[in-house]
Amino acid sequence: MRSRYGLLSSLTAVVLFILLETCAILLVARGGVVQRFKVMGAVRSVESWFWERTGRIRYYFNFRTENDRLTAENLQLRQQLSRFAAVQRALDSMEVVVEPEFTYFGATVVRNSVDRQHNFLVLDRGSDDGVEAGMGVVTSRGVVGIVSAVSRHYSYVISLLNTEQSVSAKLAGSGAFGPMTWTGVSPKGAVLREIPVHIQTAPGDTVYSSGFSTIYPPDIPLGTIEKSTIRQGSSQELTVSLLEDFRSLHNVYIVKNNRRQELEELYEQAQ
Amino acid sequence: MNRLSNIFYCTLVFLLQLVLTDYVHLGPYVFLCLVPYLLINIPLSRSPHVVMLTAFAIGLGLDVLSDGVPGLNAFAAVLAAAPCKFLYRRLVNSDRQDKTEIPLPGEVGFLKYAKYLSAVTLVYMAAYVALDCISFRPVSFILIKFAASAAASIALALLLAIPRSNRP
Repeated sequence: MRSRYGLLSSLTAVVLFILLETCAILLVARGGVVQRFKVMGAVRSVESWFWERTGRIRYYFNFRTENDRLTAENLQLRQQLSRFAAVQRALDSMEVVVEPEFTYFGATVVRNSVDRQHNFLVLDRGSDDGVEAGMGVVTSRGVVGIVSAVSRHYSYVISLLNTEQSVSAKLAGSGAFGPMTWTGVSPKGAVLREIPVHIQTAPGDTVYSSGFSTIYPPDIPLGTIEKSTIRQGSSQELTVSLLEDFRSLHNVYIVKNNRRQELEELYEQAQ
Repeated sequence: MNRLSNIFYCTLVFLLQLVLTDYVHLGPYVFLCLVPYLLINIPLSRSPHVVMLTAFAIGLGLDVLSDGVPGLNAFAAVLAAAPCKFLYRRLVNSDRQDKTEIPLPGEVGFLKYAKYLSAVTLVYMAAYVALDCISFRPVSFILIKFAASAAASIALALLLAIPRSNRP
């Protein structure tokens, strides 16, 4: 009787083991970022509150660097503004109304991870501010990630420092483009693939966003080339040093593509 | 050590794990993990079913509360928890009459305890690193991460275990 009970117990233990491991693998396979964000809404609210406050303390100690960076960015924006003002005047005289392709929302990072294989950020802008899932997040020094889920006051962003993320990037001179992904090791390292071998590159050349996706605007500087390696004789793989330091991210811009729906409808019609 | 104080102690270790995961960044190669240490603090008298369910809850709790990939720690925790009792019998005490509930270095001997903790940690790390990195990371990265994470986690767990066993 006892041995039969022991056998039954061992069998149920094996079944339970298989069941739990299957559950765990299914959870991993599904990723579940969005679901987790929704299910854990209440926990996130408390955590976000805490992260916001600890982030403020860290921010206080980074004031100097952040100010220098904002000053440089302001200068660049003012120069752009003056150029656009001239164009605007010319357009006004022709009575043409130009709708901007991208709209920007300023946001502050309240939570950021850089040391995992699947990194993420939490921003202090949510659906109340007009943020929607699928919008891009950028800075003047690169692409940061894609909004994956939003609550009323916060948004959850899958970082570019994520092994499943890639961004379409192009080379400054030639315009040759390919997917750029994070190396998974250093927060500053990325790899640009599928560049034809005949394209000449040199260390220090700048890599920009291509604008071929509906998420990120074109011509955002992403990084500089460190070295080039030929893969299987058919394409180059470029090691890129990212300009943006993800460890000290604080102010970012959420980007809305105002023509995204139109473009997606066009793609659907074409298929 | 009574059951309540053990639960309280394990809760504190779990909170420490959350702080480590969220705020202590030692680079891409090192993952400091105290889950194997928590697993060997589950009383040995518990049935394998309870041990595995507890391990799953600890792993999933860590995944969700520290914004990891859900299921990653849960998978590794169940895989490491399942052979815990077997490893204890092989590495610490094979006597079936042994009444040890929670093995402590002061009671079972430091070396035996370290071997037991290391074995559970190695199983855990092998599962964790494999599921986290395999197929899209080079073998060298996986091996370095496995070795560095296991060594760091074992050292940290031993640091926590030693003062506990000296307590009256």
